[in-house]
Amino acid sequence: MKTNYYITKDGVLRRKENTVYFIDKTEQRALPIQKIYAIYAYGNLSFTSGVVSYLAKNGVPIHFFNSYGFYEGSLYPRETLVSGDATIKQAEHYLDGERRSILAKLFVEGAAKNILRNLNYYSKDTNSLTSYIEKIEHELGQLPGYTTIPQIMSVEGHIRDFYYSALDCIFPAEFQIGERVKRPPNNKTNTLLSFGNSLMYATVLSEIYNTQLNPTISFLHEPFERRFSLSLDVAEIFKPIIVDRVIFKLINKNMLDETDFSGDIGNMLLSESGRKKFLQEYHERLSRTIEHKGLGREVSYQRLIRLELYKLVKHVLGTQKYKPLVMWW
Amino acid sequence: MYVIVVYDVNVDRVNKVRIFLKQYLNWVQNSVFEGELTKSELSIVEHAVQELINQSEDSVRIYVLRSDKYLEMIEVGTSKVDVSEII
Repeated sequence: MKTNYYITKDGVLRRKENTVYFIDKTEQRALPIQKIYAIYAYGNLSFTSGVVSYLAKNGVPIHFFNSYGFYEGSLYPRETLVSGDATIKQAEHYLDGERRSILAKLFVEGAAKNILRNLNYYSKDTNSLTSYIEKIEHELGQLPGYTTIPQIMSVEGHIRDFYYSALDCIFPAEFQIGERVKRPPNNKTNTLLSFGNSLMYATVLSEIYNTQLNPTISFLHEPFERRFSLSLDVAEIFKPIIVDRVIFKLINKNMLDETDFSGDIGNMLLSESGRKKFLQEYHERLSRTIEHKGLGREVSYQRLIRLELYKLVKHVLGTQKYKPLVMWW
Repeated sequence: MYVIVVYDVNVDRVNKVRIFLKQYLNWVQNSVFEGELTKSELSIVEHAVQELINQSEDSVRIYVLRSDKYLEMIEVGTSKVDVSEII
């Protein structure tokens, strides 16, 4: 199994002795090139051109994030899995309004069902969640009647609003979300959500790179220029499974303290220690395995993302209808 | 599977072995490498090491564990490396 590396410090990345070295004032770390799946860079990194071409040659993408933890861009190796057929079919599904809305609805449905799984888990302890669960189920029930993308997006927005209000019933006062505010996030949980969601987009992008799909052609989100919006679509399904659960764990187990955040209310950031804690949990969750019913073997959560994309490929090629992943465990 | 490689190789060739193993495993001590490998990676490592060493003089031992779950490690003294994925 290849593994992700997350670099939170400032330093230099260089090629040495046929592998990759991370070097800063205090340490020299050799990363085994054959075991690197992707690099997530949060610090200020300097590169040598040697390391860039070596990573590209070995198919390793590097994802960059700014000090807010927002996704900035990726250094992405040359595409090796290109299929004109798949790209044309994928674009066809975007251009045909009906086929596009089918996919868009499925993404929202998958996301909502996973959100409900999360809430149902907590509703065992707190009865106050029941009304929110009903509201989300009601919204979900409306979905089949809608056909336009703005309508579908608004369902998604409402579900998220209800979800976050429901979470405020569980979270301690310090971690109330209130309203979801981005760019910059204004409180602790919003900071965690922004950080985690950006990370999720990059993780999905790494997986898209390993399939024939074109990351710029999306269905639920608009394929704006200069954005890999397909990863936003697919991330919707995985945010409740991966990011939200990391946040639940960090908050409910009291793993975060004041030193893990920096900045004032209204302009909150994760500090270096906070980023490390988050990345540690995130990494652990991606590597966690579950028994897959269809495949009859253990697969990691990261692998589930790839399997989801394969289902999407099959859907656009018309061999098998796409059904979003809903947690069965 | 989790693999531990220890080697006793003549100085003339030891660097070659070390540099090769660095691509696949974490260097934990002089002449000791550890890490997770797939079956195919293990056979690549095994064959490459075989090519690099002198069969009559050098010795390389590869300990293979089904998973690091079955490994209990007791470390005494100061750890020379950090193998965590979060840097």
